[in-house]
Amino acid sequence: MVNEIAILDTKQMNFALPEDLLMMQRSVREFAKREIEPLAAELDKRPQFPWQTLSMMGEMGLLGIMTPERYGGAGLDTLSYVVLLEEIAAADAAHSTIMGVTSGLPQDILLNHGSAAQKERYLPKLASGEWIGSFCLSEPHCGSDAVAMKARALKVDGGYKLSGTKAWITSGGEAQVYLVMAKTDPTAGARGVSCFVIEKGTPGMYFGKPEEKLGQHAAITTTVSFDDCFVGDDALVGSLGQGFVIAMSSLDSGRIGIGAQAVGISRAAFELARLYAAERQAFGKSIREFQGVSFKLADMATRIEAARLLTYRAAWLKDRGYRVTQEAAMAKLFASETSAFVTHQALQILGGYGYSKDYPAERYFRDARVTEIYEGTSEIQRMVIARQVYRDLGN
Amino acid sequence: MKIICIIKQVPDAEARIRSTAAGIDLEGVTFVIDGMDEYGVEQALRIRESGVEAEIIAVALGPKRYEEAIRTALAMGADRAIHLETEEAFDPITQAKLLAKVVGEEAADLLLVGGKEADWDSAALGAATAEALGWPHSDWTTELELTANSAKVTHDADEGSEVLTLPLPAVITTQQGLNEPRYPTLPNIMKAKRKELKKLSLDDVGGAVSKIVILKQEIQTRERLNKIIEGDPMEAAQQLVKLLQQDKVI
Ligand SMILES: Cc1cc2nc3c(=O)[nH]c(=O)nc-3n(C[C@H](O)[C@H](O)[C@H](O)COP(=O)(O)OP(=O)(O)OC[C@H]3O[C@@H](n4cnc5c(N)ncnc54)[C@H](O)[C@@H]3O)c2cc1C
Repeated sequence: MVNEIAILDTKQMNFALPEDLLMMQRSVREFAKREIEPLAAELDKRPQFPWQTLSMMGEMGLLGIMTPERYGGAGLDTLSYVVLLEEIAAADAAHSTIMGVTSGLPQDILLNHGSAAQKERYLPKLASGEWIGSFCLSEPHCGSDAVAMKARALKVDGGYKLSGTKAWITSGGEAQVYLVMAKTDPTAGARGVSCFVIEKGTPGMYFGKPEEKLGQHAAITTTVSFDDCFVGDDALVGSLGQGFVIAMSSLDSGRIGIGAQAVGISRAAFELARLYAAERQAFGKSIREFQGVSFKLADMATRIEAARLLTYRAAWLKDRGYRVTQEAAMAKLFASETSAFVTHQALQILGGYGYSKDYPAERYFRDARVTEIYEGTSEIQRMVIARQVYRDLGN
Repeated sequence: MKIICIIKQVPDAEARIRSTAAGIDLEGVTFVIDGMDEYGVEQALRIRESGVEAEIIAVALGPKRYEEAIRTALAMGADRAIHLETEEAFDPITQAKLLAKVVGEEAADLLLVGGKEADWDSAALGAATAEALGWPHSDWTTELELTANSAKVTHDADEGSEVLTLPLPAVITTQQGLNEPRYPTLPNIMKAKRKELKKLSLDDVGGAVSKIVILKQEIQTRERLNKIIEGDPMEAAQQLVKLLQQDKVI
């Protein structure tokens, strides 16, 4: 398989992050360590949507990193986004999920496909964190096979009437802005899906109870239902029938974000295990001196490094205008499976303490698991990649 | 008005620092702006945000690596910076004389200095700089309010606190509680790169010879006895009193 992108850009290969990005990374690391990490265990025990820290993140510009300054965002690139998202994820995965959804999906969609009026109305409030955004694609009966959705948007005078139920919606009930995929033409398959921007409080829109999950409890997940919910023509995002394409293309950038998140969780778990192994004594020495433990740490470090490089590269290519369907899927697949591996090994290295809530190892283990599921399961990523590797022979 | 904030860069509080025969080994250590200096920058920004028209200048005396801490001050919101760059280490009196030249040249109205340095624990710089400038000084300041040409401060005294007014120009050294420093925003970090950072050499301010020579440096360590008294609380308490008396603690 020849990768033309790599050939075009070999002369520019450069692994150093720009100086100002390094400074942002340091600053955000400090912030996350001081303000977010100390809350993580409590948020896990007694879940609450973390409005206070989100508003601090908003003030710093962390909830609209890629949104242009003109709309109140930080106007930075995808590479900056993944570097900073990793910092938040290393402190608390739930915060990074909320951040990843509101910036990677709704803001990305509105920026690329929204009308001028939609951009003016939503982007500044989303970028500042005053409002949080949600993305509504999955339904109770279908996630991977999203085209099988039943949510319907019926054309009526002056707008559309939506009915149906969206499932697993991150920030459901807390978010103000919902990007909703619904069928405007049930006979047209993927081309019959359209995208709508709908505000919380619209009559006919209801939220379910927060789902009880394995981890990431503070990133509240609910169903969002529509019962003859009327929205005006101005709620349509992009053109009629373009919704599926919009959703899929935003997932390209969303998946790079999941890659960064998985790297962040992995890094936190690795760091915990690394320090623990240097302190813990068994058979008269610290356990890091046992090959059985040190080789685990070596494998963890190697995979984290590889996952981070795949993530950075996907972001870097996207910033240069390349279509990154394959690279984003690879980064997401590898990084999320790495986080499952690394958090599993970290828990093992901590022994009984790893299994106890006295240490965050078990939380990392639970928080990491969903990265292999949302924004496309690992199986779906493999399908995407497999399709891409045969691009030249035709799908 | 013109406000100058003195900036120092120190090892991160969580850094693991090694001591070698040659002195303190700072290899691989993460450095940050001194937290006490951050209070100063934050206070200057708050003065400006309260409606006082103010130019805020970060000034640092130290090695090249201090640039990072200076950029942090700029990212927080300082307008420009002056870096008196030297790899030499000076005693606080000599540092104060050098800094006083820069402050005098800028004709500042207010000088904010960190109350105590996080690395070598010296609290002399603020007072020494006030002395060098011939300005009034408030140390361990926890509240600061400006009027047209004076500063009203609350500062920690040995037993309690005092409220003072000082005519401007004045030197204020910070104390924990003065404020809660902000985190730089991403756009301000980007802007910091484009702000003026003027470099001065020792020669530009007339040179200096340190009054002290460092012969040896060591890290303070506290040996603990690790004595744990177990058993019945009443008996344990009696045993504790006995031990404390034995060691002449009480
Ligand atoms: C915490 C959390 C937050 C979420 N947030 C959101 C959100 O904000 N917005 C949103 O729209 N969705 C969200 N989701 C939904 C998520 O995207 C879906 O759960 C995911 O896409 C999988 O869909 P599903 O659960 O319906 O599983 P299914 O699609 O039913 O899949 C079940 C299993 O079958 C496998 N499978 C399916 N098809 C194939 C195939 N062709 N080949 C091989 N294997 C296959 C899958 O990989 C999986 O292992 C969230 C989910 C969770 C758990």
